[in-house]
Amino acid sequence: MATTDADLGSPGDLDEGEREAVEHLLYRLADDEFVLAERYTEWQVRAPTLESDLSLSNIAQDELGHARLWYDLLEDFGYSESDLVWERPPGEWRHATLSEVPFAEGDWADAVLRSYLYDVAEGIRLSALEESSYARIRDRVPKIRGEEGFHRDHAEGWLERLATDSGGLDRLQSALDRLFPHALALFAPTDPEIEDRIDDLGLRTASLSEMRGEWRSEVEPFLSELGLTVPDADRHTPHGRGGDHTGDWDDLHDDFTHTYRELGRTEARRIMVDPDEAES
Amino acid sequence: MIWEVFRQEEAGDYHTHCGNVHAPDREMALLFAEIQHGRRKPTHSLWVAPKDEIGEVDEETANFGGTTDKSYRWAMTYQNIDAAAEEVADSEAEQAEADRRRRGD
Repeated sequence: MATTDADLGSPGDLDEGEREAVEHLLYRLADDEFVLAERYTEWQVRAPTLESDLSLSNIAQDELGHARLWYDLLEDFGYSESDLVWERPPGEWRHATLSEVPFAEGDWADAVLRSYLYDVAEGIRLSALEESSYARIRDRVPKIRGEEGFHRDHAEGWLERLATDSGGLDRLQSALDRLFPHALALFAPTDPEIEDRIDDLGLRTASLSEMRGEWRSEVEPFLSELGLTVPDADRHTPHGRGGDHTGDWDDLHDDFTHTYRELGRTEARRIMVDPDEAES
Repeated sequence: MIWEVFRQEEAGDYHTHCGNVHAPDREMALLFAEIQHGRRKPTHSLWVAPKDEIGEVDEETANFGGTTDKSYRWAMTYQNIDAAAEEVADSEAEQAEADRRRRGD
């Protein structure tokens, strides 16, 4: 565990620079989870079998739960759910483009490959948060990790089986060519100076480039083993972390905030207890 | 391929049939079973078995339980028979007495 000397204390103890770093880190984490879950739900009642439909719905539900745990830590700084989700302008979201790009029409290979690329990265970044200098973050890591094992098993199980068929392998390859640059965007900085501060403060124990290296060394051999060629590609531009997104993001954002706007809401009704109360 | 799913709530309980899943093999069947039957209810263990491997005999071909009164097979039938209980108690007492004598008390 992090030594108590380096510990940043509770939300009220942070100075302005520390708070900015914590916020950037939390937006990275929460937005990735929330937006990917939004995309996953498009498969509901459309997945190839009942079983795969239920599996992906469950995964989406898990990711929404994780997003909620991270947004809750942003609420420590006085933001409401409406500020964070329903009324935040699309240009202020900091998820990587991997979460936002639409699935190719009916392409299940895209769904399972994307889940694999994302969940490996999520596992790595959760490891780097286990000894975070900010207790509010590190205390929530084990709860999230508990659900990630099943996501990996599900994605790998499908990939291994799709790859045994030449048609399946072709679809996986075209999905990989399309998604890989977006997956690299997971390791892009929101703001290079602030990402350095995140590392210097010990909020995260591995830098973005270290995590990217670890991710590549894990996914590349696995994908090659399946018979896929990992593309020699650069990170997608825009990458999303700085608030700049693809055109598809505006449509998705418009979609999930539609009902809130149509009903003229100014606040979100809470139907679940606060995660802090649920834990105690 | 259809796999039948059996769920055990707590260690020591029976695994009880709770539904089925479509899956290409045992590994995926277990994964799907976990999602559909192990995530919402308290679960200690799950079994999956290929539907084709399960043997079945039904009431059309078998005469389950026969047609005559077999209530004498039920332990509950003997619950309220005092005479029998007395006989057992007497018999136990006689045996204890005989045992004491043999040991020369």
